[in-house]
Amino acid sequence: MVRPFGRRWLVGVAALWLSVSLTLSGLAADVADGKALSKVLNAENAALGVKLKPVDQVDDLAYLRRVSVDLIGRIPTGEEIEEYLAWPAKERRDRVVNKLLDDPRFVDRWTTFFADMMRLRANTSGGAAALAYLHRSLKDEVGYDEIVRRFISANGKAGATPEVGFVLGDDADPMALAGVTAQTFMGLRIACAQCHDHPFDKWTREDFYGFAAYFGKVRRYEIEKPRVIFTREVEETAILWPPEGKAEMKDRKPMTPKFLVAMLEAKETPEYVARLTALRTAQEEARKAAIAKKAEGAAIDDLLLDAADKAVERAKNKKQVDAVTAEATADRRKIDTKADLYNQSVLRNELAALITNPKNRYFSMCVTNRLWAQLVGRGIVEPVDDLSDDNKASHPKTLDFLADEFVAGGYQIKPLVRMIVQSEAYQRGQAIGVEPTKQQELEAAFLAVPARRMLSEVLYDSIVVAGHLFDYKHPQGANTKTLRERIRVPAGAAAETGKPQNLLSGKADGGAMNQMAMAGGGMPGKKGYSLEKGIELNFDDVLKQADKEAKEEVMIEQMAVKSAEEVEAERMQMEGRAGRRMRYVEKIVERTIDDNPLFGSSFRMASPADPEHFVRVFGQTDRATLGEERDHNPSMRQALMMLNGKLTHEASRVGPMEPMHKLLTGEGKDLNAAVKLAYREILTREASAEEVDVGKAIIKEAATEIEGMADLRWVLLNSNEFRYLP
Amino acid sequence: MMSCEGYRLSRRGFLGASAATMMGMHVRELLAYAGKDLPAKAEHVIFFWNGGGMTHLDTWDPKPGRPTQGEFEPIKTSVPGIEISEIFPQLAKEMHHCTLVRSIAGTNGDHGRATYEVQTSYGEARPITHPGFGSVVVHEKSVIGDLPAYVSISGRAPRAAYLGQKCEAYFVGSPGDKDPYLAFPEGINQVRGDKRLDVLAKFNNRFANKTTSKELDSTKTSVEDAVRLMQSPALKAFELENVRDDVLDRYGDNAFGRGCLVAKQLVETGVRFVMMHRGGFDTHSNNFDAMRNHGEIMDPALASLIHDLAESGMLEKTLVVMLSEFGRTPKINKDVGRDHYPVVFSGFMAGGGLKKGFVLGSSDEDGFQPKDRPVKIADLHATFSQALGIDPNKEVMTQLQRPMKLVDNGKPVPELFA
Repeated sequence: MVRPFGRRWLVGVAALWLSVSLTLSGLAADVADGKALSKVLNAENAALGVKLKPVDQVDDLAYLRRVSVDLIGRIPTGEEIEEYLAWPAKERRDRVVNKLLDDPRFVDRWTTFFADMMRLRANTSGGAAALAYLHRSLKDEVGYDEIVRRFISANGKAGATPEVGFVLGDDADPMALAGVTAQTFMGLRIACAQCHDHPFDKWTREDFYGFAAYFGKVRRYEIEKPRVIFTREVEETAILWPPEGKAEMKDRKPMTPKFLVAMLEAKETPEYVARLTALRTAQEEARKAAIAKKAEGAAIDDLLLDAADKAVERAKNKKQVDAVTAEATADRRKIDTKADLYNQSVLRNELAALITNPKNRYFSMCVTNRLWAQLVGRGIVEPVDDLSDDNKASHPKTLDFLADEFVAGGYQIKPLVRMIVQSEAYQRGQAIGVEPTKQQELEAAFLAVPARRMLSEVLYDSIVVAGHLFDYKHPQGANTKTLRERIRVPAGAAAETGKPQNLLSGKADGGAMNQMAMAGGGMPGKKGYSLEKGIELNFDDVLKQADKEAKEEVMIEQMAVKSAEEVEAERMQMEGRAGRRMRYVEKIVERTIDDNPLFGSSFRMASPADPEHFVRVFGQTDRATLGEERDHNPSMRQALMMLNGKLTHEASRVGPMEPMHKLLTGEGKDLNAAVKLAYREILTREASAEEVDVGKAIIKEAATEIEGMADLRWVLLNSNEFRYLP
Repeated sequence: MMSCEGYRLSRRGFLGASAATMMGMHVRELLAYAGKDLPAKAEHVIFFWNGGGMTHLDTWDPKPGRPTQGEFEPIKTSVPGIEISEIFPQLAKEMHHCTLVRSIAGTNGDHGRATYEVQTSYGEARPITHPGFGSVVVHEKSVIGDLPAYVSISGRAPRAAYLGQKCEAYFVGSPGDKDPYLAFPEGINQVRGDKRLDVLAKFNNRFANKTTSKELDSTKTSVEDAVRLMQSPALKAFELENVRDDVLDRYGDNAFGRGCLVAKQLVETGVRFVMMHRGGFDTHSNNFDAMRNHGEIMDPALASLIHDLAESGMLEKTLVVMLSEFGRTPKINKDVGRDHYPVVFSGFMAGGGLKKGFVLGSSDEDGFQPKDRPVKIADLHATFSQALGIDPNKEVMTQLQRPMKLVDNGKPVPELFA
């Protein structure tokens, strides 16, 4: 191999590759910017005999709104709109895509996409760490194939080995994991074949058992005090054939693992696989060079090594289990400590390699189709999780192209997203005012986009950003209010001296309440507006904790979290123990607080949120059920949340510290400009002359301009135009 | 009428369902279900969930004179021959309205799994999620009036899962307190609120020809439904402002007492299913102190509820149930606590056409094993379904088009019906 500038050059390039992944992504320029994709789709439409005239592309501001929502999960701010419009018209769309791909929110938003797909849940053992791990992997631009390999094959403690959260999410149950893995990563719906041959697909029960056998040796272990949950590999498989009830126990034999699809055996190497190999070779060279450089003591980009070395490091640490704890563990669970405590899974490593084999079209098509559907509003295959032979792709060549380039580019998410959002199909408008059958045909040919409602998290964050609620917009003390709340106090004591307690949780502070809710057993707090605030999950902290534990070789993977019931029982005991002399009564006390509203991003909340929470009411699923998609249908509960909820209310109110305020009061008062700003900030478009007049009338009819603007903003935030994308 | 339109057949569903019928792959159970001759009188349910696993030995199934008895003595009730724990003196006087099952045979000693099973009748079987019983009821029974058909008080109801969003519970955190989501935000008076709604409708009408969304009509309906609920006189059922002080005192002016009053008002207003949560039963230590405290709060409220419902005649058509995920060990541990015990435990029921002043089954003399008539969790669910006129064997489709019975192969218990 020719290395014109030696090792130093390669290190530089490798570091560069991480920040501007396209230069070394293995994608040609016209592929990267979506032009080639558009060509393929247009040619395929022509070949399919589609003669319809495509709907025009949306205008620049509609594109900005759409692409901001899709890439960073919220609408653009007033300043972002100004910046965008200041760029030359020809460059705007490219520039904004570049900018949004580099925004840290890109990773937050797409973590949610993959977390939905993989059903990662912060409220299961190891689930929060798995979410944090996914987030970190996307941030570090670890290839999707590598992420999936780790999730499928990991063994270890919940939390300390973040990847194991995936397998633990289904309690390491081989049958469940077989159905889940095939459908999630390959779009093969084999779950029905667990109990009977598939009624409308080709899968037999034997296929299912053969696939499940890859998971046959993984077991979930749980130790109380200290509470540890982990998986490890055992000798005996749980998957026996014939199935239970179909044969005597003695005649049931261990099932031999068998993969579902045969395409991997093809001899020839497709072009995209060759490109992937070349890319990975170059990356490996760069990595080795970087390691060599490190050995020389020179400074290198730590980021470069981070992803690759972490796994190695962890594997090393895992083997050095604290002797005492290990013995105690062995004593309790009869684990052979002489062997590696967790054992690495030979079978699942094999399975992970098969699933992520670049020749496995189901693997690459499944995720590219899902991603396309998320962005364009309709999958090339629908439903997106069914790639069975009798559910044909509408545009197989286009899907092939996407999958090929995804593989060749090293399974990177960002280039795939860029390619799609810069393609013609993504940029088209809706087929408005045409008859339903024609609309259907246009959408089916990707010549028009279907109407899409914002994801619940996007809706939430967009209200927050439109209402300037990510930062304080009122000065300190401006929102002082008196709350009346019930507290429990010992009988006879003055209410004021009693320590306020939340009646439902039995705890004095909300922090502990949150922890309980995180642990999954908690009751939701008092009704109030808690249904809109969220519990932030700090991904970095979760992983830091995991690393620390792995390094310290501590078996306690998390504090023994008590269930809400246990905490409540303790409280009852405390009261009991104080003798029946100690009586408690409930009193209503008044408390003064500064209710200066501040909201965080819903993409950073522990997900899934509580079932009553805003984002759940608007469609976030509980991620427990396989095949459950987000429900985008309106409901009364949604209406109540938007009409009366604190989020919309506070977003509508005008704060002295936001730009709107000076357009409504004092010398700078300019109601025309104020209405225009409201339209920009909330709907990402210019208000028409008529709309400015209507807006001004609304403002003038109110008691004050500030109140009138709150009314207008409330209406805009509640409007269908706000939640349905242009 | 199917009240719960949340259960829709998607394209996927339509294909799956029709294919299943056409190909005859799925054999429906043709046998008439076991309870078809039993009466169905219940229209409403108040379901008390005692989270943590309430001790059965110190409540419904006392063991006087045995080493497992613990600190409480049994007391006589209004039904000769039936004794319950001394922590329920007032409820004892209402026992002639009530039914106890002392032979529930559970299968799981883990909070999460046992809760799942007792609330859904199904064992946990990821990646499928099964609906809770409240969702099953509102899926099968029509909505009455303006209020949501299913309300969960002070805690989290199980999911509606494949029965759809509309079968989820409406959540009430602090019973009796004003629900902020059912009124305009603080500082927005009726006139200003109405004006906002009026302008919003106009804005939405103008937007109608700028999108191809098919959901605009249902969005409009959802807003209209919300506004109707906000203005409905039925909302008073959530509030306790009009409850006399002496009534509140009788129930107890605490979260549980208020919750029972709200539950009563809700079923009287037409709500089909109220789930009432109470925690604090995971008594691994100091079981008796904790239970005495529970008794002081639960006894007056529950007794008053049963009494009042019976007096007004509502009890006949309201099934009251109190269950926990499991019972607690007969053996008292070193911390004067009792640990998880699913092998045999008890349940409390009243009304809804069930036999009155009746005890079904028993545990052995120390409370270790079911002695006679063990009752499976699914059988309890089938019994409740039966009382409501719901076929427990009716099948619905999951998201992946797997047919699933409303109740997991349970048989109604005929002895429980009057």
